[in-house]
Amino acid sequence: MIKDHRLTRRSLLRGAGAAALASGFASVVGCAPSNSGSPQPLGTPSFTGPPAGEITIWNRSGDLYRVFDKAIASFTAKYPQVKVNHIAIDINATLPNTLITGADVPDGAFYDDALVPGIAPHLYDLSQLIEPYKNDIAPYKLGVATVEGRVVAIPWDLDPGLLFYREDILQAAGVDPAGITTYDALIEAAEKVKEVFPDSKPIHLEANEFLSQLWLDMFVSQQGAAMVDADGRLALDSPAYRNALNFLHEVNQRGLGTVAKYLEPTDVATLDNGTQVFVPWAQWFVFAPQQLLTETKGKWRATFLPAWRPGGARSGVMGGASFVIPAKARNPQLAWLLYEYLTFHPDGYRTVYGPNDVYPGGINTSVPSYLPALESDALFEPVAELGGQDLWEVATAAAREVPGGYRIPVWWGRAVDYLGVNLQRMFAGQLTPDEVIATSADQIQKNLIDRP
Amino acid sequence: MSESTRYRGQVQHRLGVVGRYTLLVAMAVLSLAPLVWMLLSAFKPGAEIITDPFRFRVTTMTLDNFRTMLETVRLELGFRNTAIVVLAKGMLTMVFCPLAGFAFAKYEFPGKRLLFGTVLITLMLPTLVLLVPLLLEMSELGWVNSFPALILPGAVDAFGVFWMRQIVAAIPNELLDAGRVDGCGDLRLFYNVVLPVIRPGLAALAVLTFINIYNDFVWPVVVATDPEYQTLQVMLSTLSQRITTNQLGADWASVWGQLLAASTVAAIPVFVIFVLLQRHLIKGVMAGSLKG
Amino acid sequence: MTLLTAPRAARKAEPARGGSTASRARRRRRPPLAPYLFVAPFLLIFLGFGLYPMAFALQLSFTNWRGAGVLEWVGFDNYIYLLTSEDFWGSLANSGVLWLLVIPGQVIVALAVAVALAKARLRNLFIAALVAPFVTPLVAMAQVWIVLFDRDFGAVNLGLRDLGLPPVGWLTDPALAKPTLALLVLWRTTGYAVILLLAGLQSIPGQVYEAARLDGAGAWTQFWRITLPLMMRTVSFYVVIGTLTVFQLFAEPYVVTDGGPFNSTRTAGLYLYDHITNSDLGLGSANSFLLVIMVFALSLAAVRILRSREDA
Repeated sequence: MIKDHRLTRRSLLRGAGAAALASGFASVVGCAPSNSGSPQPLGTPSFTGPPAGEITIWNRSGDLYRVFDKAIASFTAKYPQVKVNHIAIDINATLPNTLITGADVPDGAFYDDALVPGIAPHLYDLSQLIEPYKNDIAPYKLGVATVEGRVVAIPWDLDPGLLFYREDILQAAGVDPAGITTYDALIEAAEKVKEVFPDSKPIHLEANEFLSQLWLDMFVSQQGAAMVDADGRLALDSPAYRNALNFLHEVNQRGLGTVAKYLEPTDVATLDNGTQVFVPWAQWFVFAPQQLLTETKGKWRATFLPAWRPGGARSGVMGGASFVIPAKARNPQLAWLLYEYLTFHPDGYRTVYGPNDVYPGGINTSVPSYLPALESDALFEPVAELGGQDLWEVATAAAREVPGGYRIPVWWGRAVDYLGVNLQRMFAGQLTPDEVIATSADQIQKNLIDRP
Repeated sequence: MSESTRYRGQVQHRLGVVGRYTLLVAMAVLSLAPLVWMLLSAFKPGAEIITDPFRFRVTTMTLDNFRTMLETVRLELGFRNTAIVVLAKGMLTMVFCPLAGFAFAKYEFPGKRLLFGTVLITLMLPTLVLLVPLLLEMSELGWVNSFPALILPGAVDAFGVFWMRQIVAAIPNELLDAGRVDGCGDLRLFYNVVLPVIRPGLAALAVLTFINIYNDFVWPVVVATDPEYQTLQVMLSTLSQRITTNQLGADWASVWGQLLAASTVAAIPVFVIFVLLQRHLIKGVMAGSLKG
Repeated sequence: MTLLTAPRAARKAEPARGGSTASRARRRRRPPLAPYLFVAPFLLIFLGFGLYPMAFALQLSFTNWRGAGVLEWVGFDNYIYLLTSEDFWGSLANSGVLWLLVIPGQVIVALAVAVALAKARLRNLFIAALVAPFVTPLVAMAQVWIVLFDRDFGAVNLGLRDLGLPPVGWLTDPALAKPTLALLVLWRTTGYAVILLLAGLQSIPGQVYEAARLDGAGAWTQFWRITLPLMMRTVSFYVVIGTLTVFQLFAEPYVVTDGGPFNSTRTAGLYLYDHITNSDLGLGSANSFLLVIMVFALSLAAVRILRSREDA
């Protein structure tokens, strides 16, 4: 019988010894890369002659990629000597590691706002370049693009929160959508709908843990608050979170809510059959009536979210992305030129948002965060699936309502395992709103903040 | 043997055959069903894939997904790169893993235990943790976005060596001694005595190696950001990111359609090639096992 | 440093072939050069692209590096943090349960299928079918699972409804999410097991069965007394590989349930994946090495149990 080496303790110990030895060897060689660890400022570009050169730009794949491709084409038409390599790539999986190694770094990339703080040390400080536009950018967006006092991203889209509702059902129930000005009023409206349609559970309650945390933060950002305060300290124990959680809890307790995962079979079915009547969500919910809801196409409308107190802000934000320029980019000046064009020049943002052969009516799932763009003529057309409603008007008005003061901590995504999960526990009846706050705060403090 | 025993034997045999094929057909159907679903769904409009996943209407069948996919995904590059990586890495594995396994199984040499212990630890270490260290190393070597980076790390991998060692260890020493007495040197011993006997194991290694290399996406996604070097899996992962990270945005449905179209185009040729290759592998396997 | 110098020395020397009995005897008394030659290619790749990064990872595990700035030494803090973390142990427990749900059943089914395949015609077609789960993208399959097992409108529950049974929260009930996930893992990996076990099966010489048949042993006796004991080595091997796979699993729980509901499917692999993708590299490395220890212990236990069966 051949002795089986894999089971010998000795061989394992020897292996561990060898590994430790090699580790010592590796540390002598010193293979950690030399990152400064904090953003370097990018100065105003000064081109001697027409801008020329080559840049690599990363984007996510999909229709959005094709739209950006066209917008980039209009940019290179303006600056013919600039060549743009526009690449579709799994950015979330690739960018952080590429930035860490510093090899083959793109000159610019499209990136989720929630993830920007995580890569901030590897990005250019764009404060100087953003300065002239600062007062024209939605305060919310400027806030999330700023990490430790430095602007590290070019703010792209604002995804304002709206209240989507079934117009026909509200009419039948005698509810006036314009009267839903506070969240208490929304509950009353839902009760009224339920009287006429007893099988309905009118208000959407999100069941996906990640999305539900994003959604909760929409209600919180609406109140000008966030998960952390200006000093980075945990701020869950606040009136903003209390208000939001109490509202959601009450809706659930009174049987007025449908708990479903965004656009999964249950959600789509209950949206289409009248069980769900009110969906407080970011503007990009409009995708559902346009593409997925066959029975109720044309019956949905969008209006402002209720306010948390009379006269309060009628919108918050859920999601959003920006453009980043890595510190190791070879041609950061040109990347800035491109993004400046796309974000702050009418030609740029019109080409992206406006009608084209990819989106014949234009992109209507978000609006620019650049305030002058919101004042301009509608970038996208009225939406047929919303009964021809001028969504641009509502969305831009809502966007202007969004208060500043929201901050995204580096560990925001990791907090889903605590806050997102506990929110779901609340929907399952296992926790009260106060318990959600206390437990989540405890867990986040212990696991995400107080650690090596 | 009495009549009744023979009859019982025949019945048992018949039941055995029926049972055997029922099990196999069931397994085959279960294994293939999702592949068929994917194939059919690729011809559905994106939104329908989400809203009505299990109904296939002939009237709404469309080639749109394939068309859009071909515009955005550079499939020809994906195929070329995957082929290069699979062939190069596969050959390295198939040539050097059996040799190393042989050395570990049938030879004693100083440092063998130490080496094997270290290999064992590496095998048990989640490859995920090596991602950044390995990427840093590639960066130092200037190999980011290059074929060496896709081929060499893990080329003669620990699993293959481990498996080959396992297989070769089962060969009775008498066979090897007989070979030596006949005057075989070490290499000829390997070719003439060891290889024919381990054919089933080699066939398994070939199949599993191919699958592992073809499916590998964690590493290629990170090291091949340039489309010139992206393998099929990297391209598929690019398409699926909109689905996994979050479903924000209007083009979610279209990405689904493109993903399934691309996956179909990626999977079917592989599947077909595999079926054809299997003939050869199985011939070798049957020859080996009949020899006894 | 014998390992690094020997292959070079071996390459310089000219290994003698054949020759007189005396020279052959002389050759055998010197340490054999052949094994070093045979191992060299593997060794080079292993040292360069396996051990070197692993050593760096080990070093990282004693720092709090997040991908930027210099390495800051924190000693065993990462390890202590993990070992005292509810999340870490919870993820291990989840993986443990998943292991119980997947491996034992899979071995039995795969063995049955391998035995059935060994004597079947059209074997190559069946094996090709078993490969199908590997070439279908995980994301698409995850979506199939989500839609199949949706509580209110999934095909499975609709079928249950037709039978007059109440709907089951396959993916929404924390107690059921793991088995439902295990089903996906089983579906995707059983083909792998079958291929491995089939190879082991075909390595058993035919004469052994001949002799048994001549002694009057029926099919069942043959399986129990011959096949099973002789297969234990291959089965043990697969159990080790399977254990590794289950504990490193992150893609399936991520795309199907994202670790939910209520973190019930947050496996050890997913927990680690969270660290790595958030560039929490110091902690992630410590996490990995702890996993090595745990997985090794589990494999050892499993194999010991099987080994005792083999000797029987």
